[in-house]
Amino acid sequence: MARMKFICDSERCIECNSCVTACKNEHEVPWGVNRRRVVTLNDGVPGERSISVACMHCSDAPCMAVCPVNCFYRSEEGVVLHDKDVCIGCGYCSYACPFGAPQFPAAGTFGVRGKMDKCTFCAGGPEANGSQAEFEKYGRNRLAEGKLPLCAEMCSTKALVAGDGDVIADIFRNRVLKRGKGAEVWGWGTAYGSKQAGQPGGQKS
Amino acid sequence: MLLTKKTGDAQAQARSPFVHSLQRGLATAIPTMDRRAFLRRSGLGVGVGIAATQLALVKKAQAKDDNGPAVGEGRVEVKRTVCSHCSVGCAIDAVVENGVWVRQEPVFDSPINLGAHCAKGAAIREHGHGEFRLRYPMKLVNGKYQRISWDQALDEISAKVLELRKASGPEALYWIGSSKHSNEQSYLMRKFVSLWGSNNCDHQARICHSTTVAGVANTWGYGAMTNSYNDLQNSKCALYIGSNAAEAHPVSMLHMLHAKENGTKLIVCDPRFTRTAAKADEYVRIRSGSDIPFLFGVLYHVFKNGWEDKKYINDRVYGMDKVRDDVLAKWTPDKVQDACGVPEAQVLKVATMMAQNRPSTIVWCMGQTQHSIGNAIVRASCILQLALGNIGVSGGGANIFRGHDNVQGATDVGPNPDSLPGYYGIVEGSWKHYAKVWGVDYDWIKGRFADVGMMSKPGITVSRWIDGVLEKNEVIDQGPNLRGVFYWGHAPNSQTRGLEMKRAMDKLDLLVVVDPYPSATAAMAAMPGKPEDLNPNRAVYLLPAASQFETSGSVTASNRSVQWREKVIEPLWESRSDHMIMYQLADKLGFGKELVKTYKMQKVKGMDEPMPEEILREINKSNWSIGYTGQSPERLKAHMKLMANFDVKTLKAKGSAKDPATGYDIQGDYFGLPWPCYGTPELKHPGSPNLYDTSKNVMDGGGCFRANFGVEKDGVNLLAEDGSFPVGSDIHIGYPEIDHIFMKKLGWWGELTPEEQAAAEGKNWKTDLSGGMIRVAMKNHGVHPFGNAKARAVVWNFPDPIPQHREPIYSTRPDLVAKYPSHEDKKAFWRLPTLFKSLQQQNVENKLPEKFPLILSSGRLTEYEGGGEETRSNPWLAELQQEAFVEINPQAAAARNIRNGDRVWLKSPTGAQLNVMALVTDRVGPDTVWMPFHFSGRWQGADLLSYYPSGAAPIVRGEAVNTGTTYGYDSVTMMQETKTTICQVERA
Amino acid sequence: QSESSSPGGGGSTTTTPSKPVTQEDLPPPAPGTGGIQGQNIFDVKPEVKRDASSDPGYMQQNNGQRNAVQPHNNAPMWRGVQAGHEGYTSLPKSEAPEAGILIQGPVKYPGSYYTTAGQAWREVRNKYIVPYGAALLGIVVLALAIFYFTKGPVGESGPDSPGRKIERFTPFERAAHWSNAIAFCCLAISGIVMAWGKFFLQPVIGLTLFGYLTYVLKNLHNFMGPLFVVSLVIIFITFVRDNFPQKGDLRWVFTLGGAIGKKDAPSHRFNAGEKGVFWIGVFALGIIVVASGLVMDRLVPNVDYVRGTMQVTHMVHATAATLMIAVFLGHIYMGTVGMRGAYTAMRRGYVTESWAREHHAYWLEDIESGKVQAQRSHPPGTPPEAVPPRTVHPA
Ligand SMILES: Nc1nc2c(c(=O)[nH]1)N[C@H]1C(S)=C(S)[C@@H](COP(=O)(O)OP(=O)(O)OC[C@H]3O[C@@H](n4cnc5c(=O)[nH]c(N)nc54)[C@H](O)[C@@H]3O)O[C@H]1N2
Ligand SMILES: Nc1nc2c(c(=O)[nH]1)N[C@H]1C(S)=C(S)[C@@H](COP(=O)(O)OP(=O)(O)OC[C@H]3O[C@@H](n4cnc5c(=O)[nH]c(N)nc54)[C@H](O)[C@@H]3O)O[C@H]1N2
Ligand code: HEM
Ligand code: HEM
Ligand code: SF4
Ligand code: SF4
Ligand code: SF4
Ligand code: SF4
Ligand code: SF4
Ligand SMILES: [Mo]
Repeated sequence: MARMKFICDSERCIECNSCVTACKNEHEVPWGVNRRRVVTLNDGVPGERSISVACMHCSDAPCMAVCPVNCFYRSEEGVVLHDKDVCIGCGYCSYACPFGAPQFPAAGTFGVRGKMDKCTFCAGGPEANGSQAEFEKYGRNRLAEGKLPLCAEMCSTKALVAGDGDVIADIFRNRVLKRGKGAEVWGWGTAYGSKQAGQPGGQKS
Repeated sequence: MLLTKKTGDAQAQARSPFVHSLQRGLATAIPTMDRRAFLRRSGLGVGVGIAATQLALVKKAQAKDDNGPAVGEGRVEVKRTVCSHCSVGCAIDAVVENGVWVRQEPVFDSPINLGAHCAKGAAIREHGHGEFRLRYPMKLVNGKYQRISWDQALDEISAKVLELRKASGPEALYWIGSSKHSNEQSYLMRKFVSLWGSNNCDHQARICHSTTVAGVANTWGYGAMTNSYNDLQNSKCALYIGSNAAEAHPVSMLHMLHAKENGTKLIVCDPRFTRTAAKADEYVRIRSGSDIPFLFGVLYHVFKNGWEDKKYINDRVYGMDKVRDDVLAKWTPDKVQDACGVPEAQVLKVATMMAQNRPSTIVWCMGQTQHSIGNAIVRASCILQLALGNIGVSGGGANIFRGHDNVQGATDVGPNPDSLPGYYGIVEGSWKHYAKVWGVDYDWIKGRFADVGMMSKPGITVSRWIDGVLEKNEVIDQGPNLRGVFYWGHAPNSQTRGLEMKRAMDKLDLLVVVDPYPSATAAMAAMPGKPEDLNPNRAVYLLPAASQFETSGSVTASNRSVQWREKVIEPLWESRSDHMIMYQLADKLGFGKELVKTYKMQKVKGMDEPMPEEILREINKSNWSIGYTGQSPERLKAHMKLMANFDVKTLKAKGSAKDPATGYDIQGDYFGLPWPCYGTPELKHPGSPNLYDTSKNVMDGGGCFRANFGVEKDGVNLLAEDGSFPVGSDIHIGYPEIDHIFMKKLGWWGELTPEEQAAAEGKNWKTDLSGGMIRVAMKNHGVHPFGNAKARAVVWNFPDPIPQHREPIYSTRPDLVAKYPSHEDKKAFWRLPTLFKSLQQQNVENKLPEKFPLILSSGRLTEYEGGGEETRSNPWLAELQQEAFVEINPQAAAARNIRNGDRVWLKSPTGAQLNVMALVTDRVGPDTVWMPFHFSGRWQGADLLSYYPSGAAPIVRGEAVNTGTTYGYDSVTMMQETKTTICQVERA
Repeated sequence: QSESSSPGGGGSTTTTPSKPVTQEDLPPPAPGTGGIQGQNIFDVKPEVKRDASSDPGYMQQNNGQRNAVQPHNNAPMWRGVQAGHEGYTSLPKSEAPEAGILIQGPVKYPGSYYTTAGQAWREVRNKYIVPYGAALLGIVVLALAIFYFTKGPVGESGPDSPGRKIERFTPFERAAHWSNAIAFCCLAISGIVMAWGKFFLQPVIGLTLFGYLTYVLKNLHNFMGPLFVVSLVIIFITFVRDNFPQKGDLRWVFTLGGAIGKKDAPSHRFNAGEKGVFWIGVFALGIIVVASGLVMDRLVPNVDYVRGTMQVTHMVHATAATLMIAVFLGHIYMGTVGMRGAYTAMRRGYVTESWAREHHAYWLEDIESGKVQAQRSHPPGTPPEAVPPRTVHPA
């Protein structure tokens, strides 16, 4: 079975935020909830690189491990999803996630947050595929329609690729070969374990 | 980029959500499991294919009139349209259910964007919500906007317009059209103003690429981008100078970065370290406004090392020797470094990269154009490319990235104050040409003007309409001052000198804003100014225009490809399409019949509207000069349907393919029939992917430089030298443009049909309405109708025939002002007196550089567009940029005790002060600060929210940089000097 | 992704791109030696192509410098990312304070590896707090059960034992105690469900029901917390006077509260055990749980509510709360089934003289000597007497 992953190619990403707004558009994500965001390192100086980040759908997902109500599940494609009916909005997943992926509609006092929302890899949630309920809670289920995440599909430079880990790794490897250098795959070490990709330091994290 | 597909998954029948989730929950005992197990445990049916519900993609659909939700059973249609935010021209598939735009899909087939978008394109569906749009006509009454009916609005506006005409003549009105209009609307706008009897119209191109158009057209013929975004893939080296494509044309970077992976070198020359610079192999920081020293510094090394393409120059370029002498004498490395700040080694490096990696291309945009010497800067770029032999070459070219989605088209066929559609100058011949096309009497048009003289006098430019209002009547070069202004798809905060604009707005008798988001202008007009400026009789109206997704029409991308937009949804709220409003207003003003005489009408919301297809056909019939004649609606629509069949690198159709709807076969065509697409549609010219390319037959999009400036100058041949001609030409020498005499002399006259002969008699290729001359020359003889000449390195009809560096009017460097002073003042320039040197000197005398030691430049953010009212009303975009800011270098900030995120006052010599957030960053050097120009709705510290029409304020408001920008205009086109002025920044 | 093409952390495996050898690359011919020359193999030095990684300060290069010598090698940047360096984002800090951080930097929380903070927190919570907390609470419950079944309730005198009634807790004290106790139980139960419910409750009632229940409990917990704070303060003030160390406390401790002897060691109003609960359970753990709880509730002003804060706070809260539960399990045990007469003391407010003699002999002495009033409140129904003038106690 395909194992879905993201790659953001920092040599290409231009911080255009198309991935961010595509996501907002497709899933009608409310203001304040950023399933995806773009970060620029070394902003404004030579060596500047931008990276788009969302939930990485980790192999050994910390969010899943700490959720007090077990509302996470993993789809057969390796997508980490959750059930908003069960979620209690405790925020633990956001404490555990290295990438800051889980989002909450509110950040109020009394620890009130609302139900967690995060990138679904455009795979909806536990409701019936393509149902109204699914759309309202999780956004669209593109995978079920045979489509890939819209953020990656609309990426202005194709820096962001999403799909079967093997396939996208091939695409990326191709680019790397052409460039001759720079094989770092953003976040793979952290998300999928260091053996998956050349992650700087190769740390197990 | 479909990488994998998910296999058909189990699909559950819809059931009560509660029961559903309860079942799911009760059955679950194991912490994590895969989705299938999850569902199985939930007792959900397995085996119903997802395919069964594939079509019910969308649930949110609700008929607009709220006839109950139509879940799943709605009519799902996919409309293909084009992003309306920039000139890249990204295609969009809009999914519409029951008339509601519910979804947006990437168009992987588009050879231009391959499904990619930037933030704006990816959020474009919000236009279909239009939550913050103007919903109905409004009128300013006692400082508040009140709803009125369309009838009342049109009646009152037309009465007022006619009253002004009666009192002051047609020149008292000023019409600001729009680069956001489709080609058809732009064309109709120019026709409207012409029939109104005036040249007082303009649009964004003035403040965008007017200097490019003038400079480039005067160099080699057409003022457009020569190649295409796609063609960047064929370059070996690209110099981006004054373009921040990563933020302004993000999807163009798709091609550039791909090229880069294949070895193309990227050089970025910009005062700011931009997102584009971040991708560069070589980044060159120059002082704003010093492009000529840099470009000629590069050229110096090219000449010194003999890297220029001597044969090319000999065959195809006029005046390079003079430029060479000038450059070698004036732009020695020390002077270059003094003027632009770049050391010799780096200049040499750039020269080497450009010269040794040919074909190399140059990309420019606003960094070059928006200067008082913009026309000269862009020519310096042209000259560099000519010297390197890069023009007319795939992978080379002058890739001038245009601005708005249809600024190219609006420039080509729209409301320009100095030309009729297709750059037909406002001379009698052109008027007659159009009188014929429009089916109206030339004398009737003449009668509409104040006098014949005004017919051929270029109008006031949008950059200076305020002076048309504010200047003393005796100094302006037209009868009346401007008394009424139509803002028809143009923002106010995009023009400089905001403080004076406010005064001008208050002085008007009539201000009409026709726009889906007229609110920036509305708020500015409604906010109280100085009481003595306010005209007590002023009337302000807001008319809700439909967006480009609520109508159909064609749009020309930067690469000159023309694309057809299908109508996605009906006009929202009470809005009407621009061409409908033009027709209705013309009708009230008494020339409605003449305006639409040549068109079939269609009903929209029960009202008459000229059919866009019909207008396009009229463009096809008249715009021979620039080859807007081959792009018939049928051909364009076929291209839109068959996008997948065009090659991404060449834009050429990959073999034959027929569009079932129109029956048209695209074989041989280039995508979007990039103009010039000469002759009639039947001639089947494929469009010109790269201009002036002699390696191709003219019938395959090849060409040569245009013979537009005579055949010789001071005894020097201006035509191409022998042996330089497009492949397959019957004529192997340079030749002038084709007219009836030429045809007869060469004995080709007989190849015209008798009807063609009748139409062509006494005409040239541009005015021959039959297109016969073009057909014969191109198809039968491989000859270019506009002749075969040399490009001009020396443009003798410009103020500086050889581009000269001149300091900006507001400069921080008095020493350089002394060395490179501006032009002499002009008296009647585009109908207005215009200051250059006197103001520049005065600024130095007043010691402004000491009081305002920082260079203030401005430009774009990816998320916002133009004046920004549209994009700041889109929550998906607005969330990403919530605050107007000024970029300031850490050093400059530290000296002012400013920390990142602090509020600061930015003070300008006009007395304006802007309250913005400081973004302390190394993007700018210590001498420069930079602001995005997309904000409005705050005015020198005050929030204008209460002056907006209720419900129509954008989500994010901020201080507009143009409230503080200064005087300064290009010496040819009246481009405003927005990229270089001065300011001081203080902690607030 | 082949290992060889990926630069390690330092990117030291990369080489400059090979380019065709041109004339310039070749060493200049030695001067003055025409003709053929023999070469001693030992004189031939292999040409050492200097790699950028041997540049001095290679490891100190920033990303721009590294890219200049080794294009596309972004190792310095990735190191920064891994270290949690903050980048630029256009989202305002006020709305998304941590948006600029791609990966939260590594830390080592007590008991975790040195790894990304989220992962470290996960380890602490899942490897220590959850299992050991459960074990602690389980052991406490088990111990109390064993105690109960082996020893049974302690004390002889129950609510009906002979002797006059002495008022042990005034209605105010009881009200304060019970509101506190109820709040505590709510918090403890909801906290327990949050921390361990998925192991014992969810398998029984199913995911959805568990989710709904926990949702209710979680919100109850969040709102009950601040209430608990108030009642805890009142409790503290009310009882602190009688919880200072007094005569007999040491002996009580040495005899383990009478567990060693046959009889309770005499004590004042509260014995040393109760005082221990008071100072450790109510005071120390109370402060910690309350303070951390208030932070988790985002009620404390001027705190950066970022992940790092929350992780630390959570670990403190959960640990302290678990200990507190353990302590109060003991307290509750003693207050209910563990000791005869204790519950009625708290429930009704009165104990009998014999109970007092048995458990708090010094306290009874004080009552008998009149130092402490036997009836401090007005029994309900009796008309209020004139309030006696307050006696000023010497120091
Ligand atoms: N997101 C977004 N995209 C847009 C638009 C938009 O509003 N928003 N508008 C569209 C339009 S209308 C246009 S015209 C284009 C404009 O596109 P660009 O011209 O690429 O954008 P700008 O940011 O205006 O300016 C480009 C760069 O010029 C630099 N610059 C300033 N002064 C000088 C100078 O003297 N010399 C040189 N060499 N560079 C200088 C600035 O630092 C800036 O980085 O973008 C189009 N695309
Ligand atoms: N300081 C500074 N000033 C600048 C620049 C700069 O770099 N710095 N750049 C300059 C440049 S290059 C440009 S192009 C201008 C851009 O500035 P403008 O073109 O003035 O800005 P926009 O906001 O794009 O204005 C377009 C208007 O058209 C409306 N509109 C959109 N679609 C339609 C339609 O279909 N019909 C009608 N009727 N209206 C429609 C929009 O709502 C919007 O109000 O700004 C210029 N000003
Ligand atoms: C001022 C009082 C308290 C406040 C404000 C408070 C607040 C919180 C908060 C915000 C959480 C995080 C979960 C969530 O967001 O709901 C939490 C968790 C928890 N609290 Fe409290 N709390 C308080 C007192 C207590 C007390 C007195 C106990 C125990 C007796 C307790 C036990 C727990 C437990 C066990 C958890 C779960 C830890 C985990 O799941 O790892 N809390 N508390
Ligand atoms: C259901 C839960 C509880 C029960 C059944 C209970 C029962 C009792 C009883 C019976 C007493 C009287 C003991 C005596 O007479 O010496 C007592 C005293 C006391 N209880 Fe509780 N209690 C409970 C929870 C709590 C809680 C949550 C707290 C504080 C956090 C608390 C604080 C105290 C204090 C301060 C005293 C006075 C003794 C002293 O200061 O040491 N109790 N409780
Ligand atoms: S990225 Fe965060 S939210 Fe996504 S699976 Fe990993 S830990 Fe969970
Ligand atoms: S917020 Fe929701 S999803 Fe996240 S850990 Fe808590 S219950 Fe689970
Ligand atoms: S995969 Fe889908 S849900 Fe996730 S960030 Fe991309 S668009 Fe949003
Ligand atoms: S769309 Fe692509 S290029 Fe743009 S920010 Fe996202 S990942 Fe980067
Ligand atoms: S704004 Fe320009 S680059 Fe962005 S999606 Fe629209 S057309 Fe494409
Ligand atoms: Mo523009």
